[in-house]
Amino acid sequence: MGFFDEPFDFNIAAEGRVEGIAKVTGAGKYSAEYKVEGLCHAVLVGSTIAAGTIKSINVANAKQVAGVIDIITHLNKPLVPGLADEAKIKEARLGFAVFHTDKIYFKGQPIALVVAETFEDATYAASLITATYEKTEAKVDFKEASNAIPLTSAGKDRGNLSALDSAVQVVEQEYNIKAEVHNPMEMHATIAEWKAPDKLKLFDKNQGVNNVQRTFSKLFAIPVDNIEVISEFVGGGFGSGLRVWPHTLACIMAAKQLNRPVKLMLTRPQMFYSVGYRPAAWQKIKLAANSDGKFIGMHHQAKNGTSVYENFNEGITRVARLIYNFENLKTEAATVPLNLSTPTWMRGPGDCTGDFAIESAIDELSYKLNIDPVALRIKNLALDKNPESGLPWSTNYINECIEKGASMINWSNRKSTPSQLKEGDWSVGYGMAVGAWNAGRGTASAAIQMQRDGSITVQTAMTDIGTGTGISMQNIAHERTGIAKNKIKIELGNSNLPPAPSQGGSNGLSSIGGAVVSATEMLKSKLAEYAASQNDAYKGAAVNDILLSDTGISLKNANNLFISYASIWDKNKLDILEVEASSGPGAERQKYAFCSSAAHFCKVKVNVKTGKVKLERMVTVADGGKIISEKAAANQMSGAAVGGIGMALMEEQLVDEKLDSLVANDFAGYHFPVNADAPIIEVAFINKPDPNINPQGSKGLGEVGIIGTAAAIANAIYNATGKRLRDLPITPDKVLLA
Amino acid sequence: MRPFLFSKSTAANQAIAKKKSNTQFIAGGTNLVDLMKKHIANPDNLVDISSALPNKVENTAQGVSIGAMMRNSATATDPTILAKFPLVSKAILAGASPQIRNMASMGGNLLQRTRCPYFYDVTTPCNKRQPGSGCSAISGENRMSAVVGHSPQCIAVHPSDLCVALAALDATVKVMDKSNKTQSIAFKDFHRLPDNNPEKDNNLPADALIQSINLSNNNFAKNCSYVKLRDRDSYAFALISVAAALNLNGNKIIEARLASGGVAHKPWRWLEAEQFLKGKEATIANFEAAANIATKGLKPQMHNAFKIPMLKGAIETALKQCLNP
Ligand SMILES: Cc1cc2nc3c(=O)[nH]c(=O)nc-3n(C[C@H](O)[C@H](O)[C@H](O)COP(=O)(O)OP(=O)(O)OC[C@H]3O[C@@H](n4cnc5c(N)ncnc54)[C@H](O)[C@@H]3O)c2cc1C
Ligand code: SF4
Repeated sequence: MGFFDEPFDFNIAAEGRVEGIAKVTGAGKYSAEYKVEGLCHAVLVGSTIAAGTIKSINVANAKQVAGVIDIITHLNKPLVPGLADEAKIKEARLGFAVFHTDKIYFKGQPIALVVAETFEDATYAASLITATYEKTEAKVDFKEASNAIPLTSAGKDRGNLSALDSAVQVVEQEYNIKAEVHNPMEMHATIAEWKAPDKLKLFDKNQGVNNVQRTFSKLFAIPVDNIEVISEFVGGGFGSGLRVWPHTLACIMAAKQLNRPVKLMLTRPQMFYSVGYRPAAWQKIKLAANSDGKFIGMHHQAKNGTSVYENFNEGITRVARLIYNFENLKTEAATVPLNLSTPTWMRGPGDCTGDFAIESAIDELSYKLNIDPVALRIKNLALDKNPESGLPWSTNYINECIEKGASMINWSNRKSTPSQLKEGDWSVGYGMAVGAWNAGRGTASAAIQMQRDGSITVQTAMTDIGTGTGISMQNIAHERTGIAKNKIKIELGNSNLPPAPSQGGSNGLSSIGGAVVSATEMLKSKLAEYAASQNDAYKGAAVNDILLSDTGISLKNANNLFISYASIWDKNKLDILEVEASSGPGAERQKYAFCSSAAHFCKVKVNVKTGKVKLERMVTVADGGKIISEKAAANQMSGAAVGGIGMALMEEQLVDEKLDSLVANDFAGYHFPVNADAPIIEVAFINKPDPNINPQGSKGLGEVGIIGTAAAIANAIYNATGKRLRDLPITPDKVLLA
Repeated sequence: MRPFLFSKSTAANQAIAKKKSNTQFIAGGTNLVDLMKKHIANPDNLVDISSALPNKVENTAQGVSIGAMMRNSATATDPTILAKFPLVSKAILAGASPQIRNMASMGGNLLQRTRCPYFYDVTTPCNKRQPGSGCSAISGENRMSAVVGHSPQCIAVHPSDLCVALAALDATVKVMDKSNKTQSIAFKDFHRLPDNNPEKDNNLPADALIQSINLSNNNFAKNCSYVKLRDRDSYAFALISVAAALNLNGNKIIEARLASGGVAHKPWRWLEAEQFLKGKEATIANFEAAANIATKGLKPQMHNAFKIPMLKGAIETALKQCLNP
């Protein structure tokens, strides 16, 4: 019997993830994997120009291909009510109105959709479609286009920048970052099926089923409840699934037109221009300090690329108002329209980009001042209150993150002058940087269904994009009820379940955790109500006095007064006991400011002969409040750190300015890091609950793992070589030529 | 994917007989299938040759013969190869990923096509893909492109790692042509420079099959190294690679071999530098001098001047590693 024929023991505890076994055995289904009766396959055809209008589309050859069912273009599309006219198109905020316009805004923009009996037929037919265009001038060169765009104020000025002129030390530098593409392992895919003319079912890869539901409810003018969206397993998102993209609408349109279920999965090349990316950015920092290292102020200017059909402002300078005290501060920003698809949030959006420049400048300043970068940062942290709102932090342990990280990496081994540590042709150096993120919380709902045997199912519509939402829900439910973990089942990622916000911006667990806590409290109260009919002592029992176990309910005092679930079920003729609760932020948001934070440290080796940078060690210490699921949380941090390696050393979406074209749209041309590029990421947590943010005391960790990583690496390269590299990614050629 | 007919052959002559017009042989398929998916290769017929060619390492009077259907992974771990030609193993293991090496054949590796991004993007001009359409790389993104031997028609580089080692070791390629005659092609003559016909990667006669790759015994097994510089540490094509091999008597270099990937349309030998090292002491100073000789007179593109210092560093590093393999 081969390995794969062996039966799996599904009773083993899913220690790290409730969905772990389903994922590794293939039992878990991703959007494109569902079997639907009568399914046909759709493939998009992209424009070959970047700006202009479509003059004609030739679909004749494609139609000849056996198996082709239909080809949809702007000439024959089914009209989507929400895109019926220009005003509605604007209101829909879908980006470009797919197949509802003949205008071309970027190369690759869908101009046709081939639907066929098989994916292979559709792909072949798609390759035969040609079009003629009225071409207009396209702009794809961020650097060139950004020169012409003026900066405007981004936030209230603090103090006066002229104070910087009296500073003892000033760093004034520019920083450039190339566009990066999310590229989750799972390509975006949708299966759309119209169950009735006004009833839609979607298997769709996204980061928020309710958002998808709302979007198509508006576009097709049908009630939200008529749309079912299922995203039970998501193979990564990193922000690419926070919006609804035009290809999903294209798939739904095809299903409508054909009255058959249709599957559309983006190809890997299409993933580079269909679901957003982190835009290219330019920044300028002027940072000034006294001789004792006290920051006098900062001027932070930033521009990011956007598309010509939508304005996406990354919020790059936001982070300038979060971590440090700057008495004098001015932030300015601009967006630069380009004939590329619209960028979107990508892990640590804005802050990740802004933090690279600020943390690089602080490092540079530390050498000028001859003050240790750790000490310089600690001296200037805004530790008591949010420097922008003035509200006291509910909790902020960024200083502890720094101290712990410094000790883990043996920061004292670092030399304060660059290029001091050598190993043959390698120069060794240490670097660090910090990152922070406004810790948010949304309103979410969760339900609990209890069976007679005491097992429960906890449900929410929230998707788990790989962050470990499921295991954390289980841990919270277990902690609050005492019910054994193997009796707690989790269901999520389905719009029929209690509504929840999208999973993004590090808000997932912060939002759903409270709902799970509330639901457990309701369950306790409900059970106590039933128990009261058997014993008066349960009447009006306070939630905190109610104890649950695997088999029944009891009270904290009065000799426990145990009553079994079985007897409650039998006496009340119950089938399933069901409760649903909502929970969200409240008055605490007026009293406190909230942030997650992390300190990143690394040790690098740089080969002076070849420019090769090798990460020897990476330490990342985070304050994410109370850690609910240690493994999942550490996994978030290390995954983000690897993303940071990509940002620092290799990820860049190149653009050909002459051809108005992205260069390389596969993994041979676009490099993200693999295991060989990363050391074992050493992760630690402060693990102190935030008493105000939500009932479970946890703060989101999704973003802070990457905010600051790139700067830590660049700073370490400087410490190793004396080469200050301010443009990302730092590929070996830049190291060699610096 | 464009529909095609698929058939399998169990003998070389049978496969050749099936090679009608617009027919392609398929071995591991790791390159050809990608090209078909992108509609760059559009064959009507595929002839599977995986059962038609030898797939073992055999000892010959002069050295070894590696069957064209031997998988890259099997070659890299073959005891004879490891003992006699470790450079071949090192080069293979620096390329692709374990999964791809498990599928990739030795013959197919020689015939893999360039990774120039424009070659892969059918919406852009490319002389190699569509003769006469122009070269997008020359005025475009050419960080990966050639620094030597290029022509105004094409500046692409050959992507193979294995071939760099084979070039360094003066391998020969045994082929069977249309009329079932076999002949040996010296490795230096197997791949070609782009000149005015960049659509032609090599000098394999039309419809011919590669049967085996032959290596003659040498004294390089003890002191050889393969250095590959790339944008990530695994699963990436070379920016620069160097295969170095020294035949040493004490510290004296009797013979040196130096070849590179990532620099030209074919695996490139640094013959002048090899000549310089011959008879010299194996010292850092001599290695640096050899690297200087090799990197003299190169012609980088707009975006890859860095390849010169990088190549220099890689040659020095590779030669040094020969002393401590
Ligand atoms: C993602 C990726 C990364 C890679 N990275 C690297 C790398 O870092 N370094 C590296 O060296 N390579 C790399 N490769 C390339 C890989 O080594 C080649 O694809 C492989 O060696 C080709 O062998 P194959 O048997 O699969 O060839 P196929 O794809 O089957 O064939 C390739 C071509 O050769 C022809 N052919 C095959 N065998 C014969 C024969 N015996 N006689 C005549 N014609 C023949 C076919 O007709 C076809 O035209 C990578 C490939 C991929 C997909
Ligand atoms: S370098 Fe060669 S392969 Fe690349 S675009 Fe030019 S002609 Fe094509």
